Amino acid sequence: MDDRQRFAEAVLPHVDDALSLARWLTGNLTDAEDVVQEACIRAFRAISSARNVNSRAWLLAIVRNTAFTWIAKNRPKAVVTTDDDDTFERAGLEMVETQTSPEAILIEKTESEHLHAVIAALPLSYREVLVLREIEGLSYQEIAKTLAIPIGSVMSRLARARSLLIQRIGTTGKGKAGVA
Amino acid sequence: MIKTPSWSSREESILLLNAYLDNELDAASVLDVERRLAADPALKAEHDRLKQLQSALASQLAREQASEDLKRRITEIVDPPPVVAKPFRPSPRTAYGWPQLAAAAALAAVVAGAGVFGLLRPDPLSNDIAAIVADHRRALLAAAPYDVASSDQHTVKPWFDSKLALSPQVLDLATWGYPLAGGRVEILNGKPVPVLVYKRRAHVISVVAAPRDGEKSVATSVRPATRDGYSVITWQSRDFDYFAVSDVAESELSDFVARWREVSGDR
Repeated sequence: MDDRQRFAEAVLPHVDDALSLARWLTGNLTDAEDVVQEACIRAFRAISSARNVNSRAWLLAIVRNTAFTWIAKNRPKAVVTTDDDDTFERAGLEMVETQTSPEAILIEKTESEHLHAVIAALPLSYREVLVLREIEGLSYQEIAKTLAIPIGSVMSRLARARSLLIQRIGTTGKGKAGVA
Repeated sequence: MIKTPSWSSREESILLLNAYLDNELDAASVLDVERRLAADPALKAEHDRLKQLQSALASQLAREQASEDLKRRITEIVDPPPVVAKPFRPSPRTAYGWPQLAAAAALAAVVAGAGVFGLLRPDPLSNDIAAIVADHRRALLAAAPYDVASSDQHTVKPWFDSKLALSPQVLDLATWGYPLAGGRVEILNGKPVPVLVYKRRAHVISVVAAPRDGEKSVATSVRPATRDGYSVITWQSRDFDYFAVSDVAESELSDFVARWREVSGDR
């Protein structure tokens, strides 16, 4: 099998998934398309390393790294460096517990526009974990590998992301106004 | 599968609850969480909220669909569109007739098809250098000339390890004004090879580390060359053939290579 075939099998079937991830990381479709194109160029360069791996997770990891390079260049403020990570993680966990009364919230009835806004407002490192899990359907193990973080961090970021979403959906009323 | 440690804290039960909803727990832990849920109303309420959130996410977040334009851009990565020879502005006096245009197009197609390097550069080392310079230029055109950005050699080295199962020397030359910027992977002779990226003021220096196969070595000693305005210096260590390429002055690149070899203890 030559590189073109390998590219056709490992990359082309996952372009929609790649685009979805890039869209959530960059925040808009035009930038996401550029990121995906660049990621595919990198994927083709490294295509021989796609052998014997889950090609979807492999491609998503490349997309994610490409998106981060893009973000670092175009939105440097959005990136939380690994130095902050410890404090970040701890702060996150301590806040897991706050809550409004469950009856007040009809999360399921949240309008999709509102849901999008709330997700988009999540810190990047929470957002990427959430998107990889909920939209791309990766396992904890795959997410840990994609982001090169321990599985415990995957768990805490995911829990924190969901907790933030629930809070923010709740505090902004019945899915009307913007993000808290 | 994640093993359940003892329920030491509220945080941990929230984490495990999430893992439970994501089907990431082993059977014993599932039972454990279910027992907990039955006994703890607050945890059960959290469970219900998370459940609602999951179904809202599942029903309301549509997956993107790649446009035809994007699909075309991606397939063209592998199959670039054919080169068409076209004069910039047809002047009335020297207008090419169709036969000439066709001939030019045919020639362009032959050149593009056979590969310019293949036609013009029979020498293998020279071929490598041409490919390395082309890669370096392509990297400069990309959003960033590296795939992993880090000035920390202990980040870059394991990255190569995990990508390529190859571990070139990653040296920190910041003391001499050549800070490490990151690393990327290039394809050389059909094989992925590690490339280290250093900065020199606003310039980029790529160091390609081509693993030596067997005893056959392409490069001999330190050898400078230039190609398309880029300086290339090749040298060898025990396991790798190195190529440094940059648009800095050749003297500066030689200095860089000298520092590298000094620090690597390999002369």
